[in-house]
Amino acid sequence: MSYFADKHPLVADIFSRYPDSPQGRRSALMPLLREVQDAEGFVSEARMAEIAALCGTTATEVRSVMSFYSTYHTLPTGRYHLQVCSTLMCSLAGSDELWDHLVSHLDVQPGDVSADGRFSVQKVECLGSCGTAPVVQINDEGYYENVTRSKCDRLIAALRQDAPPPPDNPVPVTVREDGRQMMATGERVGASIHDRGPLPMPAGAGGEA
Amino acid sequence: MKVTIDGIPVDLPAGTSGIDAVFHAGRDVPYFCAHPYLSPVGACRMCLVEAGTPRKGKDGQFELDEATGQPKIFWMPKPMASCTMQATEGMHIRTAKTSDVVAKAQAGMMEFTLLNHPLDCPTCDKGGACELQDRAFEYGYGASRYGFDRRHADKHYALSDFIILDQERCIHCKRCVRYFEEVPGQEVLDFIERGGHTFIDTEEGGLPVGFQGNIADICPVGALLDNVARFRGRNWEYEHTPTTCTLCPVGCSIVVDARNGRLERVVAGENRDVNEMWICDAGRFGHVFATEERLTLPLVRVGGELREATWDQAVDAMRQGFLGHGRNVGLYLNADSTLEEGAALVALAEAIGTPSLDHWPRYAHTPMGTATLADVATADGIVVLGADLGEEAPVVELRILEALRGGLLPAEFAHAHGTAIADLRLTERPARQPEKLAVIGRESRLWAHAGIRVSAGGPDILTRLSRPDTPELQAALRLLEGAERPVLILGADVLNTADAAFSAALNGLAARVGAKVLALPAGANSRGLGGLNLVPGTGGLPYARLDGVGAAFLSRLDPAAQGLPGRARGFTVVHDTHLTATAQMADVVLPAVTNYEKRGTTVNLEGRLLPLAQAPLRAGEGADLIRALVAVAEALGIRPPVRGLRGAQTWLEGRYGLRLADVPEQGVIQPPRPPGDAATGVSYAPQLWKPRMVPRPERRGSGVLGREARTELWELPMAPSPQPGGDD
Repeated sequence: MSYFADKHPLVADIFSRYPDSPQGRRSALMPLLREVQDAEGFVSEARMAEIAALCGTTATEVRSVMSFYSTYHTLPTGRYHLQVCSTLMCSLAGSDELWDHLVSHLDVQPGDVSADGRFSVQKVECLGSCGTAPVVQINDEGYYENVTRSKCDRLIAALRQDAPPPPDNPVPVTVREDGRQMMATGERVGASIHDRGPLPMPAGAGGEA
Repeated sequence: MKVTIDGIPVDLPAGTSGIDAVFHAGRDVPYFCAHPYLSPVGACRMCLVEAGTPRKGKDGQFELDEATGQPKIFWMPKPMASCTMQATEGMHIRTAKTSDVVAKAQAGMMEFTLLNHPLDCPTCDKGGACELQDRAFEYGYGASRYGFDRRHADKHYALSDFIILDQERCIHCKRCVRYFEEVPGQEVLDFIERGGHTFIDTEEGGLPVGFQGNIADICPVGALLDNVARFRGRNWEYEHTPTTCTLCPVGCSIVVDARNGRLERVVAGENRDVNEMWICDAGRFGHVFATEERLTLPLVRVGGELREATWDQAVDAMRQGFLGHGRNVGLYLNADSTLEEGAALVALAEAIGTPSLDHWPRYAHTPMGTATLADVATADGIVVLGADLGEEAPVVELRILEALRGGLLPAEFAHAHGTAIADLRLTERPARQPEKLAVIGRESRLWAHAGIRVSAGGPDILTRLSRPDTPELQAALRLLEGAERPVLILGADVLNTADAAFSAALNGLAARVGAKVLALPAGANSRGLGGLNLVPGTGGLPYARLDGVGAAFLSRLDPAAQGLPGRARGFTVVHDTHLTATAQMADVVLPAVTNYEKRGTTVNLEGRLLPLAQAPLRAGEGADLIRALVAVAEALGIRPPVRGLRGAQTWLEGRYGLRLADVPEQGVIQPPRPPGDAATGVSYAPQLWKPRMVPRPERRGSGVLGREARTELWELPMAPSPQPGGDD
């Protein structure tokens, strides 16, 4: 069963972002991988071959690119993919204990999905939120910060009800066409080159310098 | 361009890479990832040098050193990888010999490369011929400060039936990845994962058979190993014999490695004009027949069954058998026999006075080729007509792909020290130009690279190409007409039905468009043997009419397996290396030697004379064709006109003016001699892999299971096997 067979407008949109040349077609590799992973939770070998055919490359290259990034999954993930930061700051703040608690409580190991299909876990490197360690990221939605044992239990209980609480902070997503960053919620943050104007100057500032 | 290496001034052509400049000056740098026929990428960082250039001031003049008055050299702040650095006018380079910084950087890189490399040199097949071993000795610290566990990974990872990958030994030079992308144009290997976890793998379910074996040659460490030769011997135990491969008419340069009289390994030799340094998988892995199930003694039929005998008994049996057949004797030999053997056979046939002599495979009529392989590689328009190159002449396919990539590289860049090690004009993932190639005929591997594909067959393709009736054929003809150096390659599908009229039409077309022609001969040496007029004369019977002659002598031919008559009417002598179906029906069987054990000369598809050398293989009482024919002559009561190699060469020089005693290793092109025409009575179907050539690694005791067993063990039928990658 092909994933992209009935998604011609989407595929055309992705390819339209790159030059219309063999090299350009290959550049569409990453968005196509992301598309499959967002929809299915992981990229299977059949999908790799399908993407390779779309990009005019080989499944080997697709796997090579994919395996370079730890955020692409070759194994199925649960509805809630818990990513526990295990780098220094979170580690000092108790992420190891948090990990052990999660793994034993959910009865799931990396690479597995819990029996109800809800949970999968992954240790990840620094998520860049060291001030609020330890941090857990769920899917691409957002960060749950200062995750203590009781907060972890509340979180798991809420997820079991399929009612995840709003994240403490959304994950920043990619830079859009206007050069501006966007939150996962769609809220625009940061500056864009289009907003650029003269800096506000207090009267009398500057001068000779 | 003046460049100074360690104070030695050298004059180099513009565009030379730093590494070649260093070698040109007679200095040394270690390298792993650079390779003469692959693009330089700077992956291993071993070829570090210090480099500096003079700089021009605002006045356009070189800034001068105040102390010496010479242009001041501005050194780059850190060592540079010399393989990807272009030497420029006035550049100064320091190697490890004069620079402590470079020596320390290289030793540090060496230590880094060896961090995860296992110390299993004593059990490694590459031991003793390993670039890593040598360079570690020359440039390393001699000790490692790394006190932790090394990376552990699969040591027997079967990339295919022929290639075993030891993931621990890989140093990530990327030669094999680049080879597949740049030479056969198959992107089937790549790095998986990253950093210290990186390993080489394919997602295509194994490597494509064709040219995969070359990665075992170019691997600078013992990571990619030839499974047929794995664990068969150490490099210093092998007898290395450089010779010529005679499995197809290309005549690739190979090195035959024998140990204790067994042929254990074939590796590619370098011959720029023929195979560069690549050979096909059949040539590399298909050598097992030379050691397995060999005939070592003559056999004589006694009371209905073949019994082992001495040569004297065999001669006696032949004397009895040939009685009463007079001149009605047929002499047939395999077309991969040497010119000398052909000469001995022609001379004997003349002495007997029989017109029935033939070689097989051959075509009834072969048009004369004018193109060399270098012409193919530099062509700007190629039309392949009715050929399956994968079966007929695989390396021609690589030369065509070379032409599509932009022609000969790095050939014209040769330095005093040999081939350029890093030619900066070679690029990674080269853009090929498929519009320069048209393939007309049945579907083959080359189709994937052709811009114009015409599915057509039948004897009239050439006529249809000269007067095209479809848009594709018109495009192919336009390609020939528009190209400055077009080449037309003809294969078995058209040559099987070729005749003099075909040749005339071909010459007409070639002259009209200015194309050179490469007609692929049927057998490895059919071009040479055809030139000796080794074909049936008036009243003579061809090979396919074996049953028409009274008595026959067949050398390394197996007509019974082809479905042809396997016996002469009266008496049959078979001279072969194995007990073939024909040999089993024969009256006398003489043991032969393979082409790996012969001295002599062969002629490849370009008309290039190439020498064969003798590898020390155990062949029992096996004899080459010249000596076997001496025995036949004795049995016939004739004084043999050619008694040995020297005699055959004298005969050839006397009759054709060929001087074979001093053919250089890279061969020499001889002026074409039109082969004699004679009907064959049967058409030739090219097949590269003969049944006896297929290696079965499990039978050779390498311990690696066959594909079926591996599939059964490792791949459960219910779920796809999980693969590492992506998830921690």
